[in-house]
Amino acid sequence: MTDLTNVNTALWREITESCGDIRKCFNCNTCVAGCPAAEGSPPLLIRNLVRKVLLGLEDGLLEDETPWLCVTCSACEEMCPMGVHPFEVCLAIRRWQSRNDETFIPAAIPEIFETGHTQALGQVREKRRAVGLDEVPPTIVKFPELLEKFREMLRNTDIVKDNEYMFKE
Amino acid sequence: MRYGFFLGCNVPAVRPDVERAIRLTMPALGAELVDLEGSVCCPAFGAFPSADETAGLAVSAWNFSIAEELGVDLVTECGSCYSSLRLARKKLLEDGEKREAVNRLLKPAGKCFRGTVAVRHIIDVLYNDVGTETIHRALKFPLDGVNATVQYPCHTLFPSEVVGFDSPSGRPRMLRELVEALGATVQTYSRELQCCGGAGGFVKGSFAGASEFAFKKLDAMKRETEAQLIVVSCITCLEHLDRMQNEMNRKNGDTACAFPVFDYNQLLAVCMGFDPAQVTSISTIPRDGLISRITKC
Repeated sequence: MTDLTNVNTALWREITESCGDIRKCFNCNTCVAGCPAAEGSPPLLIRNLVRKVLLGLEDGLLEDETPWLCVTCSACEEMCPMGVHPFEVCLAIRRWQSRNDETFIPAAIPEIFETGHTQALGQVREKRRAVGLDEVPPTIVKFPELLEKFREMLRNTDIVKDNEYMFKE
Repeated sequence: MRYGFFLGCNVPAVRPDVERAIRLTMPALGAELVDLEGSVCCPAFGAFPSADETAGLAVSAWNFSIAEELGVDLVTECGSCYSSLRLARKKLLEDGEKREAVNRLLKPAGKCFRGTVAVRHIIDVLYNDVGTETIHRALKFPLDGVNATVQYPCHTLFPSEVVGFDSPSGRPRMLRELVEALGATVQTYSRELQCCGGAGGFVKGSFAGASEFAFKKLDAMKRETEAQLIVVSCITCLEHLDRMQNEMNRKNGDTACAFPVFDYNQLLAVCMGFDPAQVTSISTIPRDGLISRITKC
């Protein structure tokens, strides 16, 4: 039996603030049936996550890494018969986890702060030259003064302000 | 026809031959590409959208503002970039509060999101703006007698009301018709509409599960078709289906799974007579044999 004596009944409001109303979910499993990551080990079972949120089972949810398995294909969004947005719920749970436990914050975020990208675009010169392209692509890697402005913008966001130590240059 | 070419991160770094193929083929077909100077990561769903939504929207808006200043729609090959930018644009247009918050963040950089430009996937542009007849007329080496399968990029299908352009998204046909316009025969199979499974956190978080998921698709392709190649139009599908065949062969101790995987613009470039050394040079499963057959040299 799931212990419901010690739950956070406001959890669904906190999490669903930015993903729409999930109260229409009646656990039909359509979101799971079409989900590639439902074949993971452990599987991503989005309907169970929705249930955890609605019941306020925050301890279990804060330890649950399955939302991070999502392949982002959005088949669940298309198929949900109740107009719930399961993919958005998945992202909203990740955000809630990242806010409550900074170890969830993806390493890609400091990388993008640092270079503007998730790949080292400034370090593939030879590979690009070999196929006849400019060695440095015309993105922000080519414009250091814009990168500085980009970082300035990000310094004003909550994620950077709240986790300053991750964003040293 | 003029478009802002949104590069993202993976195409220019991991498969610059795809970038080269796009830069050569599109203008030759009348679709002029302009650079979005100073563009950044879309951002990937696994980055800002997974930790701070407003920050994520600001990063998308940074990219939009560059295209808006040039007055061009963005076109991208990467499925994830396409979907991330489409979803962000919808949120920015529908939620005035978020839009204002984002524009406050953009302001010191002299930027602003106005919502005046659209995001297009390259399949959409090739099919609806360029057209299969123009493509067919531009071929130097048609793919007569070649059997192919296609991998529709999931991010261009769902949610159909936000990202869709094929009709209907549940039964896509545009990529198929684009491949047929090259002269190839497209064969369908039971797992054709299943996504590749390579995007997001599945591979990183559950490598065994993600591999098995891809193996089922590749197995079905092997058993049910006589395909000589796989055609994709997304950097993740390209990388993943290429790499997973290697994994499958390693697991089975053989080399039985060896479909060359091509991004559509790469195959198009080869068929149009561009130098394969520039447009199809990087892959795990070798493509040289098939390319020699196509170009008859």
